[in-house]
Amino acid sequence: MKLVKAIVRPNKVDEVRDALEKLNVGGMTVTEVRGHGRQKGHTAIYRGKEYDVTLLPKICIDVVVTNNVVEDVIQAIIRAARTGEIGDGRVFVLPVEQSYNIRTGEQDAS
Amino acid sequence: MARAARDEASGGLADARARRTQLAAALAATRREFALEARQGRGGREAQARYAARMDEVVQQLVEAARVHSSRPLVVCALGGYGRRTLCLHSDIDLMILFESSIGRDEERFVNAVLQPLWDLQLVVGHQVRELADFDDLETGNTEFLLSALDARPIAGDEQLFARLEKRVATVVSEDHARSIDALLELIEQRHVQFNGTIYQLEPDIKNAPGSLRDIAAIRYLQTLGGERQEGERARSAGPVLEAEDFLLQIRGILHAEGGRDANILTHELQERVADALGYAGDTIRQRVEALMGAYFRQARTIARELTRAQRAARLPVEPTPPTPVGRHFEIAADGIRFADPATAGTRPSLWPELFRLALADGCPVSEQALDCIEQNLAQYSADDFAGTEAERQQIRTLFYPRPGLYARLSEMHDCGLLNKIVPEFAAVHCRVIRDFHHKYTVDEHTLLTIRGLETLWNPPTPGRKRFGALLEELRSPEVLTLALLFHDIGKAADADHAQESVRMARTALDRLEITADARQTIEFLVRNHLAMSQVAFRRDLDDPHVVAQFAHLVGTEELLKQLCLLTLVDVEAVSSTILTPWKEELLWRLYVETYNHLTLGYGDELVPQDPAGLAVVIAGRPDDISESELTEFLAGLPRRYLALFGLASIYRHVRLARGIRRDEVHAFLENHDEVWELTIVTLDKPYLFSNVAGVLSYFGMDIHRGQAMTTPGGLVLDVFEFSDEQGFLRQNPGATQEITRMLDRVVAGWVDVPGLLRGRESSVLFRRRQPEPPRLHFDNEHSQKYTVLEIVADDAPGLLHRISRVVSEQGCDLDLALIATEGRKAIDVLHLTKAGKKLVEHDRNSLKHGLERVLEAADETR
Repeated sequence: MKLVKAIVRPNKVDEVRDALEKLNVGGMTVTEVRGHGRQKGHTAIYRGKEYDVTLLPKICIDVVVTNNVVEDVIQAIIRAARTGEIGDGRVFVLPVEQSYNIRTGEQDAS
Repeated sequence: MARAARDEASGGLADARARRTQLAAALAATRREFALEARQGRGGREAQARYAARMDEVVQQLVEAARVHSSRPLVVCALGGYGRRTLCLHSDIDLMILFESSIGRDEERFVNAVLQPLWDLQLVVGHQVRELADFDDLETGNTEFLLSALDARPIAGDEQLFARLEKRVATVVSEDHARSIDALLELIEQRHVQFNGTIYQLEPDIKNAPGSLRDIAAIRYLQTLGGERQEGERARSAGPVLEAEDFLLQIRGILHAEGGRDANILTHELQERVADALGYAGDTIRQRVEALMGAYFRQARTIARELTRAQRAARLPVEPTPPTPVGRHFEIAADGIRFADPATAGTRPSLWPELFRLALADGCPVSEQALDCIEQNLAQYSADDFAGTEAERQQIRTLFYPRPGLYARLSEMHDCGLLNKIVPEFAAVHCRVIRDFHHKYTVDEHTLLTIRGLETLWNPPTPGRKRFGALLEELRSPEVLTLALLFHDIGKAADADHAQESVRMARTALDRLEITADARQTIEFLVRNHLAMSQVAFRRDLDDPHVVAQFAHLVGTEELLKQLCLLTLVDVEAVSSTILTPWKEELLWRLYVETYNHLTLGYGDELVPQDPAGLAVVIAGRPDDISESELTEFLAGLPRRYLALFGLASIYRHVRLARGIRRDEVHAFLENHDEVWELTIVTLDKPYLFSNVAGVLSYFGMDIHRGQAMTTPGGLVLDVFEFSDEQGFLRQNPGATQEITRMLDRVVAGWVDVPGLLRGRESSVLFRRRQPEPPRLHFDNEHSQKYTVLEIVADDAPGLLHRISRVVSEQGCDLDLALIATEGRKAIDVLHLTKAGKKLVEHDRNSLKHGLERVLEAADETR
């Protein structure tokens, strides 16, 4: 199993969710986050005064998937979240050792 | 050990085991019986008292058996809900074991012998083991312990010892009565904060939330701590409080029976089971749940109101002070403002909104006397009885000006029924439950919480909120925003598109209150589009200029943008206490800034559409004296923003003003709205024009608040200034308006030297100010395709606009468009400039910047 962690633009969350649902990805965790990558924020001007917006609002989507669908999930996220502009985000893939259902106590198949 | 003794001991153990088995079986039977009764809606006070009595028997048996370990005087007491005989199926069994003297090994064995069997019975036991000496130095700081001692009820043991305990607790309470009450009030406050201070929870915690069982206990504690002074109150409130308590206990019984644990949250799912168990009527489950929740909110409101009474009574000084008269009809007493003569006030409903207005002005609550009076007499009046005259309507309109205390006063109006009476459209969402994942409160309470959110922006709690607070300070009519908030969700009474339905329902209220056309247009816009900004901010790509442009077209003006931004902020915040994260605030602010910049920096590029379809409304509404060609000719070349800024009546007036205008002539129109004057001039462009007109207004002592200057490519100039008559020139001189227009004629014709007129005024000591802030100048050469946009933020000063615009003209620049605003003490001017028809090059910008800095610094020195 892998944990796929995607940092995407806030307006792309619905498209990513739809894309993952089409792959029958069962569940996901969505978190409001702020940060920057190479984009490193930007300078905004309000009433003649400049101020730095260094930490930009993004959405972090976490999904845990079986190894055989990881590549499809990654590509689906990239296709759904891409605009081609700087600031589209990142996808990280991490190994998951074990996973359990809290209600039933059952361990998920890896 | 001898065999006989071992046999005897094992026989004793066997007996003990048999007793415990018997005890467990009996208790289990009692619990099954209780659960059955509770599921049938009969788990209220009587059933809980029976269960408590059964538990008493269990504890008594255990105490008796444990007595073999210690013969010292002791008493076992029930505490908390168990002490009050309201023991529910899965409630904690709270016990205090009190020994007269110090606790030794034997007493420890006694304690163990009592508690261990209770734990074996799978009961959750909360226990305190105390010596009587612990109460010698009992401090009121330990409020929870003190309160639990007030609830103590002896179950087994030495009653004389219990009497000594009661006496010591009473001594502590009477010696430090005020501190005990303060500590209790603080505990109540802390608990209520966790629930956002409102009873109107969609899934209420019936034990802990405001209007819950803990509040009933708090009422009784306050009345107990109040002693004899509270006897009358205790007797008066006993009936309604008992009824509310029985209702909540019945619900709690069902929650425990259904949940199989100490469950106290009346979730949506459990509301269906409770509604059926308690026999609420309705063809559908939704109707039955609504009936249940209606009853719940009525009871919770009773409890909340009684708690407020008890809290106010607890704070009253020992020696009552006579009330202070306020006018003929009101007086301020210790518990708030009230009617001087309730009998007369009951027959004069126009006094009621006045009472709340005074309460807001004086920052005090409305007394129970007044609320009772209103509640008792309300039924005989209708909405029209409160809005029959312009003075009454004005009174109601001004009530909604956002300021500290507004939420509290509106909540009082709502609870006593007055708000629904004055605005019956709001009654449609009274206690309305809309089930969704995010909303935590009923629709009416959500609405009032939005108004509380707005009110708190006067004193923003965080730096992030300060920027929104600044927007509120800049609004021209913040009460219009409050009214929009009041109406934004009333359409949720129906199942249709609630925003449209809210607009439809609001119209009757706006008619009744005779809201002005401008305010009405704003309210309808805000209600109709109250979801638009959150949808764009949280779901669209704010880096996309088209998204921002589209949203800017929707709002049209900075004023509407600010209002919609604030409405969105407080609307999201009032959904639940956790939903408005700093993340969402940041996105909302970003959309605000991007849209503000689009509206103020880029509007010169978008002109009024030339096709008749785009002007259909303006053309269709034109009066007979204006032809279509005259209208379209006038509009040609004006920024598209013009149509958003001005209503049809103003547009047609401008067309007439522009008729036959010739070089060196000015056509002017001056009118006033309340304290604000508006000067509209139409003329043909010439150097120094804007500067000279601004100078004339300064010469007559006018304080310019806002302004719009627009120039068409054909050279037609339309300037509109809003100003206040600070020195009373217009108010005090009958021929003043003619004098101003005559001066404008002479200035535009070039016969008057405006700088000469103003010399002397600008250095007057009258205008000196302390601690000036450095001015801010920012050129934007990118945002607009046609113009260099200059933003100036500086301390406001008389003649400032004249001097700024004069420098612009001296530098050979054309001021084609201008947005003038004064916000607090700041002048915020956005000027769209060209030089010889083109944007300013770097050299021109630097030169203009230096010139302006010199003028602005000189202005600083004169202050």
